[in-house]
Amino acid sequence: MPFNIEVETPERCIGCYSCVYACSRHLFNAVDSSRTAVFVRTQRTLQNSFTVVMCRFCKEPECAYACPREALLPLPEGGITLIAEKCRGCETYECVRACKLEALALDKRSEFLRPIICDRCGDCAKFCPHNVFRYQEMKL
Amino acid sequence: MITQLRQVLYVDLTRRTTQIASRPELFAKYLGGAGVASKLLLEECRPNIDPFSPDAPVIVATGPLVGMFPCMAKAVAMFKSPLTGNLGESHAGGHFSSALRFADCGAIVIKGASDKPVSLHVENGNVRVEYASSIWGLSPLQVEKTLRPPDKEGIHSVTSIGRAGEHLVYYSAAIVDRYHHFGRLGLGAVMGSKKLKAVYVRGSGEIPIVRSTEFKAAYEETYRQVVETPLMMKYHYLGTPTNVLALNALRALPSKNFSKSTYEKADSVSGERFAEELLERKISCPSCPIACIHLGGLRTSFAPDHELGVKEIFEEMELVPYNYEPIFALGINLDVSDAKDVLRLISRCEHLAIDAIMTGAVLAWTTEAYEKGLITADETMGLRPKWGDVETYLKMVENIADVRNPLYVTLARGVAVAAEKYGGKDFAVSLGKNSPAGYFTGYGFVVGTLVGARHSHLSNAGYSIDHMAIAHGKSISPEQIVEFLVKEEDWLNVLNSLVACYFSRSIYEKDLAVKVLSAVGIEETKEGLMKLGKEIFHNLYSFKLREGFDLTKEKIPKRLLETESPAGYLDPKVIQHMISHYIRIRENEGLRLRPEEKALMDLVVPK
Repeated sequence: MPFNIEVETPERCIGCYSCVYACSRHLFNAVDSSRTAVFVRTQRTLQNSFTVVMCRFCKEPECAYACPREALLPLPEGGITLIAEKCRGCETYECVRACKLEALALDKRSEFLRPIICDRCGDCAKFCPHNVFRYQEMKL
Repeated sequence: MITQLRQVLYVDLTRRTTQIASRPELFAKYLGGAGVASKLLLEECRPNIDPFSPDAPVIVATGPLVGMFPCMAKAVAMFKSPLTGNLGESHAGGHFSSALRFADCGAIVIKGASDKPVSLHVENGNVRVEYASSIWGLSPLQVEKTLRPPDKEGIHSVTSIGRAGEHLVYYSAAIVDRYHHFGRLGLGAVMGSKKLKAVYVRGSGEIPIVRSTEFKAAYEETYRQVVETPLMMKYHYLGTPTNVLALNALRALPSKNFSKSTYEKADSVSGERFAEELLERKISCPSCPIACIHLGGLRTSFAPDHELGVKEIFEEMELVPYNYEPIFALGINLDVSDAKDVLRLISRCEHLAIDAIMTGAVLAWTTEAYEKGLITADETMGLRPKWGDVETYLKMVENIADVRNPLYVTLARGVAVAAEKYGGKDFAVSLGKNSPAGYFTGYGFVVGTLVGARHSHLSNAGYSIDHMAIAHGKSISPEQIVEFLVKEEDWLNVLNSLVACYFSRSIYEKDLAVKVLSAVGIEETKEGLMKLGKEIFHNLYSFKLREGFDLTKEKIPKRLLETESPAGYLDPKVIQHMISHYIRIRENEGLRLRPEEKALMDLVVPK
């Protein structure tokens, strides 16, 4: 069952990366801080608080509109899905640049450098010890 | 794709060259952390070397479960300690071990010395030694801001020394990612002697999960234990400063240079008080959901006065990490009873990168030595230390870090050296030349710190068996305490090789350790791990013995026998008996400790 997930209180983040590692385990069966759909970012110095960023499941997703090949399909419930066969050989990465939150990253270890898309599994929220995320099951 | 740990990075600062060697057998046998680092120390450190010789190595190792399991986040450093003249071993949290692991680097061996300030940069497989004069003299906090890039992928870590390390203070620290420390035994000075100001590591590799089902189950079990049971609650809630009131209630809270075991103003520096008045944020090491690092907000004046002479009302907030040990060492043990003042002293130590526990011990000894006329105001450069006088203490810390005159040069070498020169050995509180932590709980603590390989309360958790005896009214014999110390230190060396945080030791008991290792494809048995722990201990001790450490010649300062502990006044005969018993046990394991009964007679300062 997919989840509605939202970064609700990023100021609570303690920088433990449990969400990031959970995400890369779920999507790639690996632990990898750069292969993830949720990001814990440090702002230059650790004196500044961490920021937590993930897809906000926009109803009118700028990333999808930016893709010249229409490889990202907006979903009725918000967010996007990737049409993999349309996403290949891209050199401009308009989708990644379009997202103001920088919530979309390229999978640099895949053959075609495709964007990594959250599939709403909820693991980030489940493994967050500080309730940074708000999440509930989606009614489909 | 990163597999099991196997690579060792060798850096020569003299030639500014680097080399990566594949040593899979080293990690297969010793796992990582303390196991690997102790082996590399024996390989790389020439006997009887000057700790500041270019040839003296600095070794840092990470562990096989880093990034994979909760609370696996320590970096273990080994070197020859300028403070004790033997084993230098210090563990730091922060991002260092994770950055190394994701850079596919199991350990770093740094040798040589540069004639100009340098920094070491490890970015995955790209390793460089760069000139770094522009950051020499800066505080590690400024260095962290300077070297941490705005936002690059991967895990980043910045480790740096401060002025104390640059000036070769024997107990200077290296600060990791602003809030974590290689605090003890003088790594900062060894780096300073090499002109190595900072180490930046970035790792952005990928660790595949080889046994998915097993891994998932083991991870979830561990995570639940960490987050949903009370086992680690203490560290998350008030943090270790919760000890202040707890130890005071037990009459085990050393104050005023261990002259008392209670503190009448404990309430004003308690964990509760810090949390209510100063706590701003808590942060974690990567992979650890606990967030034991408590950051207190210290408001500092932006400028003393406005240019026109108007009082400046704008203030800056500095976040200062606090925990029990610095509150004890710089607060309770010096009778500095205002929480904000304690935070100011901690902050000063952070900026200079100097070990808070030894700094507190040195200031406490200096206060008494001055009271007794062993040192004069001429020697202190006009400063008149007295209990609770935070302003004087702040100045003295600077003077020590900058080694401003012959007295401060001596103080920069620790309490034992200072007492050797100026007298006052009876109240020079050190064990094995290191200053003890703030748990005056009884025999377990004192003997444990003395026999521990790194003379730390964390070597073998001696205070915890004392605590068990007091809290549960159990009668535990001196022999049983010694046997506990032996077992505990052996096992902790396993955890130190996995680089599990000490705070998670009640989670990672033997069965779970075997299980989490298996989940990442490393097959071990409980018996095998315990044997390994003992072997690592023997490696550490053989380094100590080789460098001249002799347990039979160590002395207990008289002060520790004159102050009442919860176990009563400590009896030198009992301590002597415990050390003999300890030596017997270790000798039976095949470790030569030279236990001559005659030498043992001198062990304790006679009454």
